[in-house]
Amino acid sequence: MTHLSLADLAGYMRQLGEGALITLELFLVSFALAFALGVLIGIVTLSRSRLVQAVWRVYASVFMGVPSLLVIFLTFYGGSAMLAAMFGEFGARIDVSPFGAGVTAFTIVYAAYIAELMRGAIDNLPRGQFEGARALAIPPVVMWGKVILPQVMRLALPGLVNVWSFMLKETPLVSLAGLQDLVAAAKISAGATKEPFIFFIATAFVFIAFSAVSFKLATWLEIRLDRGQRREAAGGSPPGAAA
Amino acid sequence: MNGLPIDLDLAWESLPALLDGLKVTAILTALPLLFGLALAFPICFARMSDRRWLAFLAEAFVTFFRGAPLLILLYLVYYGLGQIQALREGPFWILFGSPFGCAIVALSLNHAAYMVEVLRGSLLAVPHGIVEASEALGISRRNVFIWVKMPLAIRYGLKAYQNEVVSFIKGTAIVSVVTITDLTAVANTIFEQTYDPFTPILCAAAFYWAFVNVVRLCFNLWRRWLNRHNTEDAAADAEAPGRVNALRPASDLKQVMP
Repeated sequence: MTHLSLADLAGYMRQLGEGALITLELFLVSFALAFALGVLIGIVTLSRSRLVQAVWRVYASVFMGVPSLLVIFLTFYGGSAMLAAMFGEFGARIDVSPFGAGVTAFTIVYAAYIAELMRGAIDNLPRGQFEGARALAIPPVVMWGKVILPQVMRLALPGLVNVWSFMLKETPLVSLAGLQDLVAAAKISAGATKEPFIFFIATAFVFIAFSAVSFKLATWLEIRLDRGQRREAAGGSPPGAAA
Repeated sequence: MNGLPIDLDLAWESLPALLDGLKVTAILTALPLLFGLALAFPICFARMSDRRWLAFLAEAFVTFFRGAPLLILLYLVYYGLGQIQALREGPFWILFGSPFGCAIVALSLNHAAYMVEVLRGSLLAVPHGIVEASEALGISRRNVFIWVKMPLAIRYGLKAYQNEVVSFIKGTAIVSVVTITDLTAVANTIFEQTYDPFTPILCAAAFYWAFVNVVRLCFNLWRRWLNRHNTEDAAADAEAPGRVNALRPASDLKQVMP
């Protein structure tokens, strides 16, 4: 059925490999930025200020209610105009690449989801943790870095894994803005060889394999983040004693 | 460029086209939701079956159609299935020969795979004792399922179902790649004609936002109706933390309902 010679196949595989690296890079950069921004927003929006709350609700509602594809198109097609409006002459000269547009769009969209997760997790943390840190006069930066966030991460992990796998499945969308990623490479190879079935199935399996690997990592991370809880259980101390 | 990035005249002019696009998006949401749900039930039973091979097949289905990005599924159905000679000559070609049919098939399969997991989670959440009690009363398995398990499972799974439906609606935005003129495609066409990067896309985004929030509102009303027997519990539920993924139950509802 296939008319592909081995040499051809190797060539296409190399193209797919390069595409996969770009997809992976896009995904990891976007996730890292979205995570950083999301945590920051999650902390900032703890403020009771009416203005902060209002801005947060509008932001969250807009970016959770609009397809990421539209946000990507907006940053890609409108990016130069937005930069020009913000930085004047200098901004107009910056060319918006599909990669940059994709990273920007995913960061903005998924920071909203991650911030929502963080808010939920911080809410679920016993208030005593904050009061204890304050009573010990621990400075805020250390309090967040060493006391609150490690515990919050444990609570937020399942949600983060969800966001992670969901975002992974949305990264191919950037190929529609012209990024030469895995899916674009697969489409080109499929068109050139007239073997769409093989290439698209292979691409699908790359994504499935990557999620499988990341689920393994997530399990490991969960065990690691749970180590405080486990020790407590093993020590046989009464529940809640160490909380 | 003036201060406002939106050209109001253009927005007004393109309103009819955008509404047509919204109609296509709504159809492309409704049909796969229906087919996907219909497909999810048998696959979910297979997944929970005691027969190993059946459960394995169902799990493979779920893994594949959940794990593969929707864009790839769409390409696979649209470009890949045409390759199969038997299919091209068979009666199903009416379905697979049109972009619309392909989009419906791909979206339905994807939604079905997600719904299998939602269903399974909800059914597993039903307390075992209730089912045992029903069996002890001699109620047939089918009736236990329809009258005991499902009503509870719907209540447990409603939030997950809502999240899935909302993200599914947003997912339909990609069908424009197979030449369907949905809301996103209409916005893109207007962009290509006018080179206005903001107005059409922002208008389309507003329509999506409104669509998603109407759906969300319907779910909230549905949840309220399902929980009408214990309104106090429902209120407590809504206040509970851990509302992952964009649920603003209580406040939104209050604004709308007197």
